[in-house]
Amino acid sequence: MNPSLSSAVAWMRRRAENVVAGMLGIMFVAFIIQIAFRYLFNFPVGWTSELSVIIWLYMVLIGSAFWLKEHEEIRFDLVAGSLGRRGRRTVAMLVAAAIVILYGMSLPATIKYVAFMKVESTSYLKIRLDILYSVYVAFAVAITVRYLWSLWRLLRGDDVETADITKTSSAL
Amino acid sequence: MNPTSPFSFALMAIVALSLLGLPVGHAMIGGSILYLFLAGLDMGTAAEQLLNGMYGSFLLLAVPLFILAAEFMNTGSIMDRLLRFCNALVGRFRGGLAQVNVVQSIVFASMSGSALADAAGSGKLMQSLMTRDGKYPPAYAAALTAASSVIGPIMPPSIPLVIYALVSDTSVGYLFLGGVVPALLLGLVQMFLIAFTAKRRNFPVEERVPLREMPRVTWEAFPALMMPVILLGCLYSGITTPTEAAAVAAAYALLVSALLYRSVTLKNVYHSLATSARITVSIGMLIAGAMVFNYVITAENIPKTLSAIMKGYELSPVMFLLLVNVLLLILGCFLEGTTIILVILPVLLPTAIALGIDPVHFGVMAITNIMFGLITPPYGLLLFMMVKIADVPLRDLVREVMPFLGVMFVALMIITYVPSTVLFLPRLLGYQG
Repeated sequence: MNPSLSSAVAWMRRRAENVVAGMLGIMFVAFIIQIAFRYLFNFPVGWTSELSVIIWLYMVLIGSAFWLKEHEEIRFDLVAGSLGRRGRRTVAMLVAAAIVILYGMSLPATIKYVAFMKVESTSYLKIRLDILYSVYVAFAVAITVRYLWSLWRLLRGDDVETADITKTSSAL
Repeated sequence: MNPTSPFSFALMAIVALSLLGLPVGHAMIGGSILYLFLAGLDMGTAAEQLLNGMYGSFLLLAVPLFILAAEFMNTGSIMDRLLRFCNALVGRFRGGLAQVNVVQSIVFASMSGSALADAAGSGKLMQSLMTRDGKYPPAYAAALTAASSVIGPIMPPSIPLVIYALVSDTSVGYLFLGGVVPALLLGLVQMFLIAFTAKRRNFPVEERVPLREMPRVTWEAFPALMMPVILLGCLYSGITTPTEAAAVAAAYALLVSALLYRSVTLKNVYHSLATSARITVSIGMLIAGAMVFNYVITAENIPKTLSAIMKGYELSPVMFLLLVNVLLLILGCFLEGTTIILVILPVLLPTAIALGIDPVHFGVMAITNIMFGLITPPYGLLLFMMVKIADVPLRDLVREVMPFLGVMFVALMIITYVPSTVLFLPRLLGYQG
């Protein structure tokens, strides 16, 4: 990859990490505020849970689109990982093409749905849902661009990055 | 099922894309988009299901908070104190360190909700302690660490049980309570096996900790040992919701490590946040994918159809549970467990309920069953992790893990066919099921 481009991508990844880690910190503090207000000040607040649930949605979509590498997600590497160099490249190209096509072709309907949601707002913070949900459009575009990019690199002859199976995520 | 229906194509696409290495969450979203396209439905539905599903699942906020709590607890000085405490309890027996490994797994399990986190944290430490000076064969130590880590997500708090609570609409509190006895039972059968093996293989005994030392050792570990008490206390007294209880646990863990063990710096806190966020995002993406795909499963009426077919066979609950046991063991050999919880369990649950099986019992039993997949080849994430940590060949590790799997299987049979092992504690605290 072009060195200045790859350092720009690495920089973006690090900032995305800062943002997502920061969001988790805010969610944690919001919960503490929520409990403290209810018991210490006898004053239940609702905006904290709304904020937390918004953060949860944003953490996942932003983190997955801009931060995590493919092999850090929950995936199954046994079949693809057992192939030879050429086989893995072919398979990776197939997968990337499928994702570009699928996410790409649903994009117009996705934008339409998100735009339609302008009729509703959240209950406490009064955020219009089309604005709130536009993060999904950013996510879908980012995923499409990422796989398009990796498809282009694979076509140019780059190898598939080797993954460390012990870094594979799981909820278990 | 019609092999040329949109659903069949979608299912094949998801299986193929996942097998070829695409993250499972994206595979489920992609396959569902394909389904919507082929069925002539609005493709914006994928976004709708994902956004509304994630936005509406407040319960899931417990997942990042539990991960964070365990991460705050996972500091060197806290682990040392807990280990000294466990050593004082069971180190004196033959195979003492092996017994300590199980007991510390149970103790850690009551603070963290993930088996992989347990293996990477305290398990790594146990591995180096057990193999120091050639005390235990490395493959045996690694097998034991893997097997005892399985207890992690069965003992509350448990991330898989939170996810099951979401898909099954069951109370997290009762599920957590239901996990306690099965977790202890798994620990117990492992300790029996160790006692038996220790004699045969002549494992060493640890230096006996004098009784007068006990109060000091316990006192030092006490603040950390209180965390599960506080967590469960918050849950069952109704002071907090389950999600808030997770936040309280995280706050308590942070306070304990900051004030008592003085092991917190800003850098550490950021590191804990980033590590927890990384796991949260990967789990969240899988859940997001499952929310979209579960719409497809429901639209196709799969759970009801299956329930009707099963009814046709006039299966007894015992036969059904046996089938579930076998199915989950086989799936666990090949699939990542969270996917099974999110996709397979909701399909099976209606049949279980129709047969009169309690959803809390079914959940705890199924999660225990699915956990076995972490240590069954060819795809066992704990095995892979221990191969790396312990630097032992997979084949040796699998051979040493087999006896543990054997006794754990006996425990699983008890948990499956004696529902009161799971339901005793929840019923004691008011569960009506």
